[in-house]
Amino acid sequence: VGKQGSQIEDKTQEECRALLEALNKVAACYRHLVVTIGGTSDSQNLREELKKTRKKAQDLAVANRNKLTVFLKDKTISKDDRVEYERLWVIFTTCMEILEVDMRKALEMGQEFHGGTTGVAARAMSAQNMKYEADSNIDVVDLKDLENEINQVGEMMMEMEMKVNVPNWTVEAKQDPGAELQSTISVGASSVGMISLNEQNKSVCDITRLLAGIIFTAVLIIAVVLAVLVIQLS
Amino acid sequence: SQHKAQGRKQTPGRAPIEALVMEMQDPNAGIKMQTQRLVITAIPHAMTGSDILAWLMNRLQISDEEAQNLGNQVVQHGYIYPLQEPKNLLLRPDGSLYRFQTPYFWPTQHWPAEETDYAIYLAKKNIRKKGILEDYEKENYNALNKKINHKWDFIVMQAKEQYRAGKERKKGDRFVFECQERAYWLVHRPPVSNFQELNSISEEFSLIIFNQQSLMRSRVKSSVSLGGIVKYSEQYLKHDPIMSGCLPSNPWLTDDTKFWELNMPLVETPTKLRVERWTFNFRELIRDPRGRQDFQLFLRKEFSGENLGFWEACEDLKYGDQSKVKEKAEEVYKTFLAPGARRWINIDGKTMDITVKGLQNPHRYVLDAAQTHIYMLMKKDSYGRYMKSPIFKETMNKAIVPEVTKFTFSKRYWKSSPSPVILRQQEEEAKAKAATNAPMDITQLCKYTAPVSHLAVYTGICEPTSPTSPTLCEFPPSSPGLVTLPNSAACPSPISVAIESTPSSKRKLEASNSVASTHIPSIAEATEVSVSSNSSTTAVEEARQPLQKSRMALSFSRFLKRGCSNSPVFATLSPKCPSVNSSRVQPLDGDQQQVTQTKSKKITNFFQIKVDIPSECRIYPIDSEDEEEDGPNVAKSTEKEVICPWENLAEGKAG
Repeated sequence: VGKQGSQIEDKTQEECRALLEALNKVAACYRHLVVTIGGTSDSQNLREELKKTRKKAQDLAVANRNKLTVFLKDKTISKDDRVEYERLWVIFTTCMEILEVDMRKALEMGQEFHGGTTGVAARAMSAQNMKYEADSNIDVVDLKDLENEINQVGEMMMEMEMKVNVPNWTVEAKQDPGAELQSTISVGASSVGMISLNEQNKSVCDITRLLAGIIFTAVLIIAVVLAVLVIQLS
Repeated sequence: SQHKAQGRKQTPGRAPIEALVMEMQDPNAGIKMQTQRLVITAIPHAMTGSDILAWLMNRLQISDEEAQNLGNQVVQHGYIYPLQEPKNLLLRPDGSLYRFQTPYFWPTQHWPAEETDYAIYLAKKNIRKKGILEDYEKENYNALNKKINHKWDFIVMQAKEQYRAGKERKKGDRFVFECQERAYWLVHRPPVSNFQELNSISEEFSLIIFNQQSLMRSRVKSSVSLGGIVKYSEQYLKHDPIMSGCLPSNPWLTDDTKFWELNMPLVETPTKLRVERWTFNFRELIRDPRGRQDFQLFLRKEFSGENLGFWEACEDLKYGDQSKVKEKAEEVYKTFLAPGARRWINIDGKTMDITVKGLQNPHRYVLDAAQTHIYMLMKKDSYGRYMKSPIFKETMNKAIVPEVTKFTFSKRYWKSSPSPVILRQQEEEAKAKAATNAPMDITQLCKYTAPVSHLAVYTGICEPTSPTSPTLCEFPPSSPGLVTLPNSAACPSPISVAIESTPSSKRKLEASNSVASTHIPSIAEATEVSVSSNSSTTAVEEARQPLQKSRMALSFSRFLKRGCSNSPVFATLSPKCPSVNSSRVQPLDGDQQQVTQTKSKKITNFFQIKVDIPSECRIYPIDSEDEEEDGPNVAKSTEKEVICPWENLAEGKAG
């Protein structure tokens, strides 16, 4: 029974870790997207992607919080387990902090830069383009949504701090300095359990990869044909 | 947590420089941008330094120099970054390439460059460069690893993930992003010079201290403190002249100064309200001079009057003339603390040690520990009994309730109250009178059974030359006020200061104590008779009678006089009054080496001589007149004042 119990524990810990890993990925994604706002590669598409990523982040955040609080409130878990959950909790809260900051930055910049280009140009464009106005309306709605979501996240984090009493400073990192140089996945979750995201990021690269694949196969075929010809000739 | 976003509002307007930068980027009216090739990558939207300068000069109609200045500012703040020499944050007026920084990385005050982000950046760079970071980056990395260690797992996770996500982007985009990020951190975490580091370190250090002190402050629940205020208000409501009026009347309204007269500090009969206040707590009693007077009467009856006397002396030291601190401290020591002192107070050994050590370098608060001890003693012990005592009850009965002033139209006689100068003189006279007429603070019997080392005093055998004892000049001359301990607030704890400043005295104390104990046996035999005999009980009874002219500090010496009249040496060595000049007390540390050596020689002679002196030599009560009656030898050696541990060798030899 003990072995089974620990197995169950491990499994739930793995689930937690997987959820965290997912949230981490979304946060990294979001960071990359937010950085490009207002820059030279800004576009309407970017806004869409931002929105989607945000939604994913929210869902994952709630899921993580629910799962972790269950374990942290459970007084019957062993000391080692508790230490591990506290560590995961600190990872979670730090991730949420980063997400919240990025969301606020996105809001601020979104209010200043509309649509694909810089403010001046956008204003010039909007005078001519009615469709663009419609888009900018969507933008406004989106920004409002964003603001609400930010507030929600902020409230959630405050609530978390009140209810779950985990002293951050007592958590010791498992990773030593320089651990990022190793190629293994950090949290320790198996790659099978991970939710794969980033399809949108990969979309551009997928096309290039596809092209590369096609060209490669083409070259291969040509090489084979040439070889056959050479053999035939000789 | 870093909720720096709390309370953040949308910026009302853009900073002018940002507006300018935005204009620069305008596709129509902005700077001409091109796609540059750097090595194998094509960099979009790059521009040359000279183009930027030209644009600035044209748009703002400023001179070459001004444009150069402005351009440098723009680069240094991070709105534009150089591509070829990233660390050189200047606008070169040539073909060097620059790019606009993305708004995410613009410097704003709302979003200060965060440690977590910097750590993630360094970790990413570590991955990218396969562990090869610059020196200052390595230092920062290690420092951050220590500082935000609890976040480190996340930092590694996020760094790896951001790196991976970056790799999945188009090469051009990825390169651009890396440049942008690098530029941002070069602006916000530049390779720091040592001087700047020191400044920030001292700032951080003082921050740390401040936070530590804040943590140490005791906290009280608001419900508790509110309850305290309510209780206080209820208790003092009747006593507040503004809230409840005052009897006989408010002098400001009726011009009748009776209220002030009746409530003078040392009035003969206090008012009932005033006496009632003494019952609230000990502090009220001891703060009121009239209350102290009454309390002192009571204490005398209990033979612990020296406690209040000591307390008052401490207050005088704390709040009195600071130029006389040394003399006052000496006097307090001689009167209250020295073994065999006239009004010896009973405090525990540890406090006594601390106090005596502190007296090496006397200052305002040197007696704090002892004073607190005595205060608590009085509060917990005597105060309760005082409240039940007949003295207090009598005072309470005699207390008056003034009648309300009858408003008369009669002619008023304006009499001025006595000048404060005169009042002060009167006070001092009264004090001096009280001091001279004070009956003895008869110490309890049990004191005598305690430190037998007292006996060593009377033998005059002090510590011999101990090889380790230094002289006075070796004392570290530290001024108490300058020692700041990390955990103390504005006023460093005087006790700890005193301890800090006298590290070497401990050895001497120990040396002296050990010596004293070894010499006891020779005298103990002689005195055992007196101590154990039932003359002690009779002596105590005798002691209870009020002594009017006596100046004896300890009845112990009277015992000895009774018990061993054959050794008048004790009697002559007993403390005399006035305390300043004649009591002899044991020097506490070895800085008196030479003095004591000569003294011990003298004293050994003295022994022999003394035996010959007839016992009808009057010893009790010991007055200054009596001293003259004693033999000249006695006079010489007893002329020597109390040897205070901090006194100069020269002073000591003067005796």
